[in-house]
Amino acid sequence: MVAALPPLLSALLLGDAGRVEFTRDVRPILSQNCYACHGPNEETREARLRLDRPQARHAEHELLVPGDPAASELVYRLTSADPDERMPPPKSQKLLEPEEIAILERWVEQGAEFEDHWSFRSLKQPTAPAVAGDAWVLNPIDRFVLASLEERGLRPNPDADRRTLLRRASLDLTGLPPSPAELRAFEADGSPGAFERAVDRLLASDAHAERMTLAWLDAARYGDTSVFHADGPRTMWPWRDWVIDAFRSNMPFDRFTIEQLAGDLLEEPTLEQRVATGFLRNNGTSDEGGAIDEEFRVRYAVDRVKTVGNVWLGLTTECAQCHPHIFDPISQAEYYGLFAFFNQSREKGMQSRNGNEPPLVRTPTPDQIAELERIDADSEAQERWLAEAVPPPEALRTWTDEQQALVASLVEPELTAWHSLGPFAHPSQAAAFRAVHGPEEGVDLAGEVDGVGWRERSEFGDGQVHSLGLPNNSALYLHRTLTVERPTLRRVSLGSDDTLQVWLDGEEVLAREVGRGAAADQDFADLELSAGEHSLLLKICNGGGASGFYFDLRGIGLPEGVGAALAIEADARGDAERARIREHFLREVWEPGRARVAAVAALEAERAALAKAVPTVMVMEDLPGGRPTYLLERGQYDAPRTDEVIAPDVPAFLPPLPDDAPRNRLGLARWLVSPDHPLTARVAVNRLWAMVMGTGIVKTVMDFGSQGDWPSHPDLLDWLATDFVDHGWDVRRTLRQILTSHTYRISSLQTPDLVAADAENRLLGRAPRMRLQGEFLRDTALAVSGLLDATVGGPGVKPYQPPGLWNEVSLNKNVRFSPDSGAKLYRRSMYTYWKRSAPHPAMTTFDAPTREKCLVERQRTNTPLQALVTLNDVQFVEAARHLAARMIDAGPAWEQRLDLGFELCTGRPADAARREIMGAVLERERREFAADPDRAAALLAVGDSPATTGPEPAEHAAWTVVASMLLNLDETLNRE
Amino acid sequence: MDPLLESRRDLTRRTLLRGGARGLGALALGVLARRGAAAAPGAADDLPHYAPAAKRVIYLFMAGGPSHIDMFDYKPALRQIHGQELPESIRRGQRLTTMTSGQSSFPCVAPMFDFRRHGRHGTWVSELLPHTAGIVDDITIVKTMNTEAINHDPAITYINTGTQQPGKPSLGAWLSYGLGSMNSDLPDYVVMISRGQGNLQALYARLWSAGFLPSKHQGVKFRSGGDPVLYLSNPDGIDAATRRRMLDGIARINAEKHAETGDPEILDRIAQYEMGYRMQTSVPELVDLSDEPEEVFELYGPDSRKPGTFAANCILARRLAERDVRFVQLFHRGWDGHNNLPREIRGQCKDTDQASAALVIDLKRRGLLEDTLVICGGEFGRTIYSQGNLTADNHGRDHHGRCFHTWFAGGGVKAGFEYGETDDHCYNIVRDPVHIRDMNATILHLLGVDHERFTYPFQGLDQNITGVEDEARVVHEILA
Repeated sequence: MVAALPPLLSALLLGDAGRVEFTRDVRPILSQNCYACHGPNEETREARLRLDRPQARHAEHELLVPGDPAASELVYRLTSADPDERMPPPKSQKLLEPEEIAILERWVEQGAEFEDHWSFRSLKQPTAPAVAGDAWVLNPIDRFVLASLEERGLRPNPDADRRTLLRRASLDLTGLPPSPAELRAFEADGSPGAFERAVDRLLASDAHAERMTLAWLDAARYGDTSVFHADGPRTMWPWRDWVIDAFRSNMPFDRFTIEQLAGDLLEEPTLEQRVATGFLRNNGTSDEGGAIDEEFRVRYAVDRVKTVGNVWLGLTTECAQCHPHIFDPISQAEYYGLFAFFNQSREKGMQSRNGNEPPLVRTPTPDQIAELERIDADSEAQERWLAEAVPPPEALRTWTDEQQALVASLVEPELTAWHSLGPFAHPSQAAAFRAVHGPEEGVDLAGEVDGVGWRERSEFGDGQVHSLGLPNNSALYLHRTLTVERPTLRRVSLGSDDTLQVWLDGEEVLAREVGRGAAADQDFADLELSAGEHSLLLKICNGGGASGFYFDLRGIGLPEGVGAALAIEADARGDAERARIREHFLREVWEPGRARVAAVAALEAERAALAKAVPTVMVMEDLPGGRPTYLLERGQYDAPRTDEVIAPDVPAFLPPLPDDAPRNRLGLARWLVSPDHPLTARVAVNRLWAMVMGTGIVKTVMDFGSQGDWPSHPDLLDWLATDFVDHGWDVRRTLRQILTSHTYRISSLQTPDLVAADAENRLLGRAPRMRLQGEFLRDTALAVSGLLDATVGGPGVKPYQPPGLWNEVSLNKNVRFSPDSGAKLYRRSMYTYWKRSAPHPAMTTFDAPTREKCLVERQRTNTPLQALVTLNDVQFVEAARHLAARMIDAGPAWEQRLDLGFELCTGRPADAARREIMGAVLERERREFAADPDRAAALLAVGDSPATTGPEPAEHAAWTVVASMLLNLDETLNRE
Repeated sequence: MDPLLESRRDLTRRTLLRGGARGLGALALGVLARRGAAAAPGAADDLPHYAPAAKRVIYLFMAGGPSHIDMFDYKPALRQIHGQELPESIRRGQRLTTMTSGQSSFPCVAPMFDFRRHGRHGTWVSELLPHTAGIVDDITIVKTMNTEAINHDPAITYINTGTQQPGKPSLGAWLSYGLGSMNSDLPDYVVMISRGQGNLQALYARLWSAGFLPSKHQGVKFRSGGDPVLYLSNPDGIDAATRRRMLDGIARINAEKHAETGDPEILDRIAQYEMGYRMQTSVPELVDLSDEPEEVFELYGPDSRKPGTFAANCILARRLAERDVRFVQLFHRGWDGHNNLPREIRGQCKDTDQASAALVIDLKRRGLLEDTLVICGGEFGRTIYSQGNLTADNHGRDHHGRCFHTWFAGGGVKAGFEYGETDDHCYNIVRDPVHIRDMNATILHLLGVDHERFTYPFQGLDQNITGVEDEARVVHEILA
């Protein structure tokens, strides 16, 4: 299959006696038919013959004799009747058309000169050509366009009307239609510069920043999930919000580039600059159980080379991962030179299926920052109150005396060694916990239970965790006696793995059915001991794994320092002791103080919860020592050619890295945006052009290599690129240049003459008419219905989607979609949560890519499933219901209502024909719904938003039908 | 002229203009398109390359990696090394997944199932597959399928799109793009998913995506419960009559717009809305099995009465084939037997055996098998050594890409044939390997398409389903 458009352009641009251009006319034919065997790739080259550049004389025959096709072996081979001589050989199944051979002949006739591929040549600002129709020219863009039309005797379309123009600009720059008020104001404003002012207004809007970001999300392969295997959730939206901010502030494209590719390597990078590098972390990652770490780590670097190649260089580099590029001059070693820049990342190959994988940074939202500040302030206020509070002296004294008496009565019990009984097996921890084996009723150390006796465990000293070595689901008893001379209150500290039960003299004092590892102070029990001997029994049940327990005696339950202070006679206490007692009373005993302490604890808990909610974002960080890069045979991660380390470098056909440039991503990023780089600016302005004009000046926006298309207006592309660079990579300026050109403002009418001359509109004699992308269709429905929630940024949202879509494909059916509610149902579509293994079906139906890989251009198809979405999706039907209510509000006359609907959706009121068609439908549906109120009620209940009160149901339902039709008109679905 | 007919003609012309840039170049240079005589509307401009044996495909995709060892590739020698360590002479340094590469022991496991010989040629089939055993005389079993991928995500992406990385069109999308439509009210490529009883690996939209081809070629999911096709039903309160009046009104205003702007795309839009409307009738009719006689449900088995099961999907697949839908792909999940393979594979086979055999029988008696290619297989096979502990009645098996089975029926393949041979332990291939690329080339061949000439330019390369790297071979030996 012929690669692309050049032959057509040749036919279109060549004229009859025109000069053949090597890169435009000849090279595509050679590239497609000959380079696989006679191109830049040495390994596949046959007969040591290459046709991508001038070659020394071929051994036997003169390959190319400038000016003499008949004497040139090339022409002979192409036209030979002998199948053994004929090229390309029949087995290649390539066949040159006679017209293609004629072009090659003409090229030889004209001197057979080779040239570098056009996009690799350095950028120079061309002079805008002179044109006959000077009056038509509004800015230099128009000279380039008009000149090529005039050359072929064509004239551009007349201007679009003002409403069409404003709707076009609004949709192109913001993805949203203009409001009726904006349309009317613009229509009425005949003053000079009115359109320029409208463009400036649109460029300055948040909606514009969102629209630019949406396009960037495809290129950046942005998603809310990790792609491979489980396709688990991740949090990259703080990076997406960084992009919105960048467009909002019209960040120059060079800085935009450097921060996303190497923000972390800048000197003392800000948090934002580190967040920006999330661009490179948007690639899919795997968590698959059997995956080999290195295989995936290499894949991530490969993906980054591909993405940077596509987005900045407009080149497909990935061929050279496995073999020298067949069409473009990138050798395998050069590929790994690029790869080496990205081979330094410190992240792992096997990554998480549950959230972000390091390296990452924390990115609190403004709300969260404010909330943290409030918590700090509140907490500080409580502490200040506590520091200043004076507890009532009487109460303090009474409490102190009581406690002192208790401490004075403290008796050290005499403890026997622990004895253990068991373990006893059970089917589960719960069964073990509930089982009663006898000791609960009374302990007889000489007795047996189920043939097992008590065993002395003198190794179990106090104040340490002891391992018990219990089998899973088993119970063990521990017993000892405590003897005191006088009554006393003693607190004990306990820990257990897993459950714990405690009895004192047969009375249960504690029962904890838990699963945990043993540690000090997990539980406390206060034991009231009368004079004499007491029996203390513990039961520990192990649910699984390790088992153990902890025991220690702890005074009367006051902190050690307080207990010690109380042990000192009142008049002997120093200031420190008194302060300690007072402090304890203030914070732990006195009710107002305890309340404040509790409040501080609650604030701490809030702070901890908030800290958990603060999003992180994955960022780039290189390994401190770096990682050597080797050429990988056939691109295989496990086949490095370790005899030669490949240093980070750029391909030789492009300008070299400056000598003093760091050999890392920062060096690469700066190199990309150096003013003499031939590709970056051309590729970038072409993408901007394609965004608003539907098709790039180079149609293959991702391929500026030799297989890509020849630019329809090469000088215009170079003029835009140099203008872009010379004015500080100002994205808004370039868009403004395009939008305020006359070329942009003409009508999209397809007149027979223009269509006959240029069916594809490569000469730009008319404006493109094109279907809006899926996100903008939904956003338009939300906007015209008044449902749109214009909140900017934040986590992805989950609007309506049919049930079961995630679950039917998810790993072990454990991922379910649950829709959001309220305002989140009506956010702009760019915020829709993007699950890359099952993206929102209404968006993919309208050609949204899955975003598993970088993709710079979308298809624009027209399918029956699209009709089903805009007619039946609850999102669109609910929007129709609200649009209907809005129309009814416009006034009593149905014509007035209809006009508003048309104006909202299509930019202009209904004309007579449309009025008649819609009027008939309205009339009929009014009757139908009046006769069937249940059906009206059902239609008016579609969607989560509350029913609109006011309009009578049959009337509202009939208008809802009209509104739904409006949302489905071709003139609503298209930018004209 | 009927505006719909006219728009269809327009559509065909536009496919030439836009779909294939080749067409465009050719037109501009005044070259006549070389168009096959049997081309369907919307077909790429020189397809089919030659007379096809099959017009349509039903692909029963067994997602997760069914065990060739326990189903078709019977090796008595495996019983002799049961429980013994996997010899290096067999493994030969094979790359293992990291799920088992750290195991200290690799005990070999013979199948825990009996095998018997069936059919005219005495084909060995496991007791797990009594119904498939009954159709061995109608199918070709390839035992030497192979792939380099060793994990699910890369492997399932590889076999369905020709590469292990996302972004390429699926086989069904290629065929929809290349061969065009044979019916006017159903999609060309339909996907149905059912859930088995074993370990469920994830699926991905990319497995039926159109990749860089126009998105209308992506697989359309038919679903049980709710709308059989997403967004198919009219909203509550809109009945068929209102919908008809809406579409008429929209079409009239769109026709006005066409007259005003001259944009031919508008006529296409009108046609697409009409097709959407027809689908609202044709799809519910299609998925409504109430007109199927009792004996059909008996043939496909008791599950076939339950919507959403593999068996019910098999009946739908036959109904789609009857309506000339080009490519129907069923995904049945749950074949990933890492831990409890004997129990799980019994369930998986019970889910699929009767219905897949029934599908072949049913197509045959309706005269559809001749030109319908049925394929049944997964993304890889399983290891002959146990993953985890080998006990008397349980074991697991890890992934194995060096050999696995897939069977084919109808549509130009031999009936009652086995192809390819593995070693005595069904671990390595000893004769007639069929790489998954070869399988895809063979499928295309059966549909009249030369896989090398069937390309689409994207990012500077002529892309195709069999990849630009390695040679793919049409397996002529299995062709009837």
